[in-house]
Amino acid sequence: MPLTKQDVAGIAEYARIALSDAELDEMTDYMNDAIELLDPLLEYDLDGVEPTFHPIGELVNVTRDDVVTAGLSLDEALANASNVRDRAFRVPAILSGGDES
Amino acid sequence: MTSVDALSARQIAAGIAAGEFSATEVARAALDAIASRDNQTRAFLQVSEDLALTAAARTDAARAAGEALPPLAGVPVAFKDNMNLLGTRTTCASRMLESYESAYTATCVQRMLDAGATPLGKLNMDEFAFGSTTDSSAFHPSNNPWDIACVPGGSSGGSAAAVAAGEVTIALGSDTGGSIRQPASLCGVVGMKPTYGAVSRYGVVAFGSSLDQAGPLGRRVEDVALAMNALTAGGRDPCDSTSRHCEQDFLAHLDDPIEGRTVGIIPALLQADGLAPEVRVATQAAATQLADAGAHIVEVDLPNMANSISAYYVLASCEAFSNLARFDGVRYGYQEPGCATLAEQSSLSRAHGFGPEAKRRQMLGAYLLSSGVYERYYLAAQKVRTLITRDYQQAFAQADVLLMPVSPTVAWPHGAISDPAALYLADVYTISNNIAGNCGISVPVCLGADSELPIGVQLQGPAFADARLLTFARALERACQMEGAVAPSFAGRGGELR
Amino acid sequence: MRKLSEVLRDWEAVIGLEVHTELTTLETKMFCGCRISHDDEPNANVCPVCLGLPGALPVPNERAIESIVMAGLATNCEVMRRSMFYRKHYFYPDMAKNFQTTQGPVAFVMHGHLDLEVPADRADERPTWASVAADGATPIERAADGSYVAPIRILRIHMEEDAAKMVHVGGAEGRIGGATESLIDYNRCGTPLIELVTEPDLRTPEEARLFMEKLRETFLALGISDCSLEHGSMRCDGNVSLRRRGESSLGTKSELKNLNSFKSLHDALAYEICRQAEVLEAGGVVLQETRHWEPSRRRTVVMRVKETADDYRFFPDPDLAPFDLTDEFVERCRARMPELPDAKRERFASQWGLTRRDAGRLAGDPDLARLFEGAAAQLRPQEVPTLANVLINLAPSFGALTMLQLVSITELLFRDALTFAQAREVLGIVNGTDQMPIVVAGDRGLLQSTDTDALGAIVDEVLARCTDQARQYRDGNRKVLGFLVGQCMRASEGAGNPKLFNQLLVERLG
Repeated sequence: MPLTKQDVAGIAEYARIALSDAELDEMTDYMNDAIELLDPLLEYDLDGVEPTFHPIGELVNVTRDDVVTAGLSLDEALANASNVRDRAFRVPAILSGGDES
Repeated sequence: MTSVDALSARQIAAGIAAGEFSATEVARAALDAIASRDNQTRAFLQVSEDLALTAAARTDAARAAGEALPPLAGVPVAFKDNMNLLGTRTTCASRMLESYESAYTATCVQRMLDAGATPLGKLNMDEFAFGSTTDSSAFHPSNNPWDIACVPGGSSGGSAAAVAAGEVTIALGSDTGGSIRQPASLCGVVGMKPTYGAVSRYGVVAFGSSLDQAGPLGRRVEDVALAMNALTAGGRDPCDSTSRHCEQDFLAHLDDPIEGRTVGIIPALLQADGLAPEVRVATQAAATQLADAGAHIVEVDLPNMANSISAYYVLASCEAFSNLARFDGVRYGYQEPGCATLAEQSSLSRAHGFGPEAKRRQMLGAYLLSSGVYERYYLAAQKVRTLITRDYQQAFAQADVLLMPVSPTVAWPHGAISDPAALYLADVYTISNNIAGNCGISVPVCLGADSELPIGVQLQGPAFADARLLTFARALERACQMEGAVAPSFAGRGGELR
Repeated sequence: MRKLSEVLRDWEAVIGLEVHTELTTLETKMFCGCRISHDDEPNANVCPVCLGLPGALPVPNERAIESIVMAGLATNCEVMRRSMFYRKHYFYPDMAKNFQTTQGPVAFVMHGHLDLEVPADRADERPTWASVAADGATPIERAADGSYVAPIRILRIHMEEDAAKMVHVGGAEGRIGGATESLIDYNRCGTPLIELVTEPDLRTPEEARLFMEKLRETFLALGISDCSLEHGSMRCDGNVSLRRRGESSLGTKSELKNLNSFKSLHDALAYEICRQAEVLEAGGVVLQETRHWEPSRRRTVVMRVKETADDYRFFPDPDLAPFDLTDEFVERCRARMPELPDAKRERFASQWGLTRRDAGRLAGDPDLARLFEGAAAQLRPQEVPTLANVLINLAPSFGALTMLQLVSITELLFRDALTFAQAREVLGIVNGTDQMPIVVAGDRGLLQSTDTDALGAIVDEVLARCTDQARQYRDGNRKVLGFLVGQCMRASEGAGNPKLFNQLLVERLG
């Protein structure tokens, strides 16, 4: 069943991508076309086939020692942020005005 | 008078060591070449004149002090703009990161600098590496030096164009589904996608983390091999959990004979719809040339290759969604002004910071990873990845390397292909290599009989057979007439070295 | 609302806990080399990795993985050799990447249990009819003193990274509602965090509290965290649902947050059980929701209603190689494990003849246990129970006593040279100094005489004066002895040992 515009609007809300009504139409078409391109995957019988999540052969247990390394200075850390205050990154209200919880 | 574009990396380093010219003169020549050529190619997003001259001065001071010079001393290089370099912005050719200043230097970039290279700047690309034309750069398209009406390919289009036009000797690109090899092919340069894990990904802005690999582009196989030496020097990168030790001398076996060794071809791939006849002819000619050099040509099969496109678009989209989630305008990147709530700020920052393809990929990924859908597509794609990897294992049991096209066509005019799906399908020859984590290289073999544009052919090798791959690439290069070629209308334009 | 004890006669409470513990004793964060923050200025300990800068990649801290394996071994879990890190996506800026790196269906350690010993005085919340443990097989038998043991199964302990701290500005009491902006400090972001999830095997708020206490003691003994509920390095969420006595299907659960003390954990669960019972008994339905405990108002309030399960778009993190833990690694972790509180308690009890309760209190706190063992080594065995008494009942009032001071005060108490009250006085003087109790007590004339001849003379003098009381004693009024001891103490100006006076008086009056 193809994705509806409402489905796509829900995904856009989750993915924090604001889309206009026209963009939603376009995106819905694109996604349905793209999903059709994936059909060959559905034709496989993949019973008993292990997934390969990491194309790194037998490489396992990669770790580092618990040793402190130099990080960023405060200025470096905040340098690319648009909105900072009191050594911190600043964001607008998380809940909108009437939303009390 | 010679132009810097006529010299190989080895000649530049040797010339500086011998005192024929200084690193500063080379850097100024490269800056001059860029100044006189980049208005046509538009390969660069930033030219880092200060960094270049500082690095060159350091090389000159080292020579004056009698120190042994590193192998890429004074060699002009530039980096795809998804690679962090302190002192430059790293924009990924996106409005999202238009003013993002690198907070650290990527390992692959640092290793080139450690090898003595002179950094000339940052190169254009498709936004966040999503694309195969470089037209999706938020700032401007780049042009193919062989015909500036045409795309240079992508996503490392700026890297390929800068090398092909002789603006730099070596460029680094990144390859998630063919993004080094395809533009290299379209621009007539050598472009190598090393084995996954051979080159550190630390500091290269992630697109598809299990597919991405940084690698070099150059006008000669030897230059690419020298860059591989630099990129793997020092062994595995402790900052990249998936990187592995593969330090070795990639030059040592460059001229080994290929006599008696085997090259696999996949007949079905050469019969595929959409493969331009001139590309088929060029690929077959390359097989003949390798056979003439003494290699055995054997027929092998990669039965799941056709479906690798489906698997690739699942994996790449899902990983892209995840990797690009961090761009919300809070810590860095474009922030929509005047928003009352955080959700509004995030959604509008992302809506206005990302271009259309970046949004499409993330939306598709967010859908494919959702609960109930994950098993149907993502898990299936990771299992098909296992099948593709097995196909390769069987093929490499019969052949030392595989030979195939890179791109089904030569470069095309800007805007000639606008359907995303058509562009996706053009990746068929390159993406299965990323899915399996093997190594691959595009070697320019000729100009198309019909188009008179460059055609590259692709060699693929098993994981960590990067040196072997370079041996075969060099054999092919010797047989063709493209070694060191600068696109004719750019060759020798500016960049003169006394 | 009805009382908990009444509710639990009719309803069975099904309780599960999720306990997050920061590995605060490590040097660095989970996936980068930033120092773990304690009281640092905002954003002092950040780097490209924990700020989620473009291009940065995670590398796991090996000690963190050793710590979680030790936590698993200590809670009888199975070490899962093969596991992976996953990405859990949610858009909230306390996670710099907008996903949290955590584990998937397979955690590093799984399928463990802790046997919860519930002492008699904390056993009465459990209704007597609930006589089988939650595994359906293990009988819950009460000991003669009313105590019981309940096995609590542990589903898993997985490894993840902690989130940044957010300060909400402009709203009431720093709450998010009504706030006009929030400030983010990424110091905590990326701190190694282990999340333990129990099976819903707990049946009373008291069991939940005991479980948490026991878990805290265990993790403290392992030295993997400072386990501060108050400062949030150990955090607990509770899930609770009710079902009618004898039913086996589960009711709808609510999830409780802000349980940042043992008391809050207990009281919030008790409140919630009673609240749910009231809802159900009135014919209503319990909603699946997250509720916030308000300790000042002693109630839970709704934070949010969960209509659908959150979709976190989990998938294996491609940046992190899988794990396939070797025998050697697991054995190395096992070898690093100290004696655990239960074993230590049994040893203290049998080695020194302490009560299990006293032994348990000493064994449950690693610093106290270390002090106890160090001091005990310098004392005669018969003096050690007095040492335990000192450590449990006296020492906690004084923060800075040395081991030698404890040894000295124990010896004085053991030979009755000081009363308990005098010992307290002496410790108040020596606390935080290097003075020895025996010297201070001597200087201040506090040392009680144990010279029987000198004391005998005082006793004789007192008996000569208090003939009425002596007669009353001989007539059977034993209570009068206290008065006579008091007279002796006064006559000796406090320098005599009251026990000896007691003994001498009884001899002479007998």
